[in-house]
Amino acid sequence: MGKVVFDVQYQTTLAFLISYYFYCTGLSAGSFMISTLSYGFGLEKFKPASKMGVVVAVLLLLLAPQFLLMQVGWPIKSVWNHFVYFNPLSSMSYGAFLLMLYPMNSVVYGIFMFQGNLKMTKIFGLIGIPLALAVHGYTGWILALGVARDYWNTGLMPIVFLFSAMVSGISMMILLVMARDRFFTKEKVINHELIDSLAKLLGWLLVVDLFLVFCDYSVLLYSKLEAQEVAHFMLFGKMSFWFVIVENLIGKVIPMCIVFIPGMRKSYFWLVLAAVMNMIGILVMRIVTVYGGQALPLM
Amino acid sequence: MSNPHKTKSDLPRWGMVIDLDRCVGCHTCEVVCKIENDVPLGIWRSWVKEIEKGTYPDVIRAFRPTLCNHCENPICVKVCPVNAAWQREDGIVMLDPHLCVGCRYCMSACPYEVRYVHPTKGMIDKCDFCSTRVDAGLQPSCVEACPSSARIFGDLNDSKSEVAKLIATKAASTLKPEIGTAPRVYYIGLDVATLEIKREVKLIWEK
Repeated sequence: MGKVVFDVQYQTTLAFLISYYFYCTGLSAGSFMISTLSYGFGLEKFKPASKMGVVVAVLLLLLAPQFLLMQVGWPIKSVWNHFVYFNPLSSMSYGAFLLMLYPMNSVVYGIFMFQGNLKMTKIFGLIGIPLALAVHGYTGWILALGVARDYWNTGLMPIVFLFSAMVSGISMMILLVMARDRFFTKEKVINHELIDSLAKLLGWLLVVDLFLVFCDYSVLLYSKLEAQEVAHFMLFGKMSFWFVIVENLIGKVIPMCIVFIPGMRKSYFWLVLAAVMNMIGILVMRIVTVYGGQALPLM
Repeated sequence: MSNPHKTKSDLPRWGMVIDLDRCVGCHTCEVVCKIENDVPLGIWRSWVKEIEKGTYPDVIRAFRPTLCNHCENPICVKVCPVNAAWQREDGIVMLDPHLCVGCRYCMSACPYEVRYVHPTKGMIDKCDFCSTRVDAGLQPSCVEACPSSARIFGDLNDSKSEVAKLIATKAASTLKPEIGTAPRVYYIGLDVATLEIKREVKLIWEK
């Protein structure tokens, strides 16, 4: 209606570093889940991936907060203040504690696993599952409680984050297990049964993930103007290449097809391709969600 | 008469009324705010959004001075992980520079986009109703400098104050009331065109 002569718009507040942080915690939570499947829930076929899963989970969780420290204006002050000035209403406040507790628990769990103490491994594995869910779920809550942004402010956001975490974690585990078996063992034979089980799990989690994306967008497109705009921005606007093609087609639909077609799932070439595409797709999903969610001005 | 803005404490509840029929769009408030609060280049605590609408000869230039709304239920205070954003008893939403770590969560959660990262301090900053001036019994600098008295500042708890009278007798509105933040900056004669977001996206079912 009017033509803007003068207005002030501020910079994008959370950007790539936060996306990488979400990606790393997601990978960590996903690989931790895989490692608890055998020791916590007794699914023996996943046992060969357990030790690798917990090591990777700890390493990634050490890497992840570094992105946060690079993002904040006062890194050392932020570590201190997060623990001393706790705000029970802020999801980010809980994050500081989760980011301490989860790696500590994972280390204890890993030590018992390497010692072969099955009972203690199971106990710490089961303690770790809610922690892993929380440490990644809370990142979804951070965005969901940024109530100004319609793209973020949905109850689905923590669940979407959890599923994309598990999906990307499984893809990473497929790649790592294949690399380990092929290059770092004496037999140099890939454990086919394990890879096949992981691939099937990946496929079904991708189905749920795509369904959640569909739910989210179907509501956004029917919702108020800002929500419709951001959905159009993602589907048809500047973000459409990254959201539709890279995140959903390359990152989710094609890997899902590959792992559901038995002939392709048996081929290691296609499986590696699916896992790599999925990992790229989930990284793009983090960037699209964080950056795209706040790309449109509010006022 | 019951006052809907009465807070629990007997302290004043500071608020601002901006009478847009009086605003001439001179940007004096913007400049004086920068001087008073030492705001660096490229960022503003308060600014005047300016739009042109209509076709000649039926045209108007409409203004909307923008500042922190000092909400009654501020989202920034809820989301701040280190309690750096806080609300005074008299309702002014403050930012504690000793606590703020510059995580920018409040910036992305604020529905009014009035917060900025201070380029040299590395922490968040925003309008604080010139709290030091208010404590000293003065008016905020933008109010004092406004040449057409379009900005009026005062105690919303006191029904005899000018702001309370204006809100009671005129058609006053706030920005984005649907979010439930209950802003304490009121606009008289708010033009809907100044509220329009700069549209970057065209909906496919839009003509």
